[in-house]
Amino acid sequence: MTSIDTPALPRDASTLPSRPAISPTLVALRQFCRSPSGVAGAAVLLILVLTTVFGPHFYGIDPLDLVDAPFTPPGEDAWLGTDYLGRDILAGLIHGGRATLTVGGVAAIITIAIGVTIGSLSGFFGGVIDTALVKITEFFQILPPLLFAMVLVTLFGQTLTTVTIAIGVVSWPTAARLTRAEFLRLRNLDFVKASRAAGAGNGHLILRVVLPNALPPIIVSATMAIGVAILFEGGLSFLGLGDPNTMSWGLMIGQNRNYVLDGWWTVIFPGAAIFVAVLAISLIGDGINDAINPRLRKRG
Amino acid sequence: MNLLLHIVRQLANAIGLLFAVLVLNFCLIHAAPGDPAMVIAGEMGGASADVIAALRIKYGLDKSLFEQLFTYMSKVVTGDFGFSYYFNEPVVSLILQRIPATLYLVIAALVMSVVIGTLLGVVSARKPNGLFSQGVTVIALAGYAAPVFWTGLMLLLLFGSVWPILPVSGMIDVVRPKTGFAHVLDIIQHLILPSTTLALVFIAQYSRLARVNMIDALTADYVRTARAKGLPETIVIGKHALRNTLIPIVTVAGLQFGHLFAGAVLVETVFSWPGMGRLVFDSILRRDYPTLLAVLFFSAVLVMAANIVTDLVYRLIDPRIRSGAR
Repeated sequence: MTSIDTPALPRDASTLPSRPAISPTLVALRQFCRSPSGVAGAAVLLILVLTTVFGPHFYGIDPLDLVDAPFTPPGEDAWLGTDYLGRDILAGLIHGGRATLTVGGVAAIITIAIGVTIGSLSGFFGGVIDTALVKITEFFQILPPLLFAMVLVTLFGQTLTTVTIAIGVVSWPTAARLTRAEFLRLRNLDFVKASRAAGAGNGHLILRVVLPNALPPIIVSATMAIGVAILFEGGLSFLGLGDPNTMSWGLMIGQNRNYVLDGWWTVIFPGAAIFVAVLAISLIGDGINDAINPRLRKRG
Repeated sequence: MNLLLHIVRQLANAIGLLFAVLVLNFCLIHAAPGDPAMVIAGEMGGASADVIAALRIKYGLDKSLFEQLFTYMSKVVTGDFGFSYYFNEPVVSLILQRIPATLYLVIAALVMSVVIGTLLGVVSARKPNGLFSQGVTVIALAGYAAPVFWTGLMLLLLFGSVWPILPVSGMIDVVRPKTGFAHVLDIIQHLILPSTTLALVFIAQYSRLARVNMIDALTADYVRTARAKGLPETIVIGKHALRNTLIPIVTVAGLQFGHLFAGAVLVETVFSWPGMGRLVFDSILRRDYPTLLAVLFFSAVLVMAANIVTDLVYRLIDPRIRSGAR
């Protein structure tokens, strides 16, 4: 292991030169670029995002329009065929990707925001606050997440916003536990004590001193949370709990699932889209993990 | 004795948490948009203003929230989770009828995923860079990324039309009902596809976990000692290293029971398996709130039970905790 491999060490102002020669982020980025699977994942995800953003300009069919006979197989009329109503599958994939990827991204942000807030307060302060927050986390962990999300969406209405918030609200405990563990590990280290002695308040200590050093595992967890949220959105839409007015990959599968034997293409393509997106995201997550965690890098 | 105390403490904790789930259920109903009386009236197929006012009094909706919570709790304690207008049955009996089918599915998938996942992980750890190991890594990634309902539909497509050797729907053959041993065999046959679908996701995760832990274990001092003692490789791996590989898998499997249960909801919907998942799907479709919330509560009970069992199994496998407890 070379000296470059230790970017995750606490940045202690007294021992490091005031301007490090190479920033840890740059080191991690370089390391990430050396992982072929991580780069491949990033490339695939970029292609998916670009397709959903710019695709509608090049492929002008409305995903909700009935363009052909129901169950038209993939061919010249419709590249990827039509569904049980005669809607174009390719148009559905392009437009549906917007909803699915947006829900994934925003739900992951909510997940991490709640998880990191609860985890950091819990780990930093300890004592009664920790006990209370751990109990709350434990409480959320005994409710099966997808089931809880279903209940929330059923009760509060089937809109894309509800779905996104519901996914965020049920998924945060993992991030909270992870953040808490990192804070517990870091809070008594010398560089934190030094900052405290120098007069830093709790807010500064949490946000500017401990949190930056706890970030690496949180970043990995955030990446994975996007994948999980996409799978959740798929699951909810599959059960008919998506937003019926917004095309999404899960909705396509959910609406066509009873006709899988009549037209395999109605279900295979949207499922494959979810599969590819989640696969790409988890490859990126693995790549980041290897890049910022030197200990793991040695492993096969 | 300490163990007994530990179990009692765990049970007390569990009861506290389940109590909290009930409070959550109560809050959810009241926070949801819409008047419960209107919802009940809607379930009955509409009602006049007088009937709605009567409903309000009958269900105590005119009392304070705190009083309502107390009434709700005292009903639940006596096993009354409300009445499902759609199924025309008390919610509890509905759920109790469905629990066995879901448990068959979940337990079959759990056993399958722990056994196969560990096996794949252990074998691949022996040559971490070999072809088999890389294959397992690919399977693990694919299994993680594939939505469980999609995998289910793919298998349904495969065994429903291309290669019809397995039943793809229901739990028993309704056309030719069987009795005795043939009945059990029939259920097992119907269970193969749903449980495999559900297990695939977890096989993926456990094989990854087992692989990493086995690689760690194989370089540990105690394994070197065991080898130096001249123990055969099967005992070194099967007894010494495997035990330490199993600990994290058992922990994760226990913690993921909720995910397993949620996965079962999707899988049951795909294969028309008559369990709680199917009930959830139907009650979502009918906006049957009492049933939905009771399922949430009962699933929390199952998760809680799974956590306690995990903790006990953990103690059985890990001698450090066991001796500490005595």
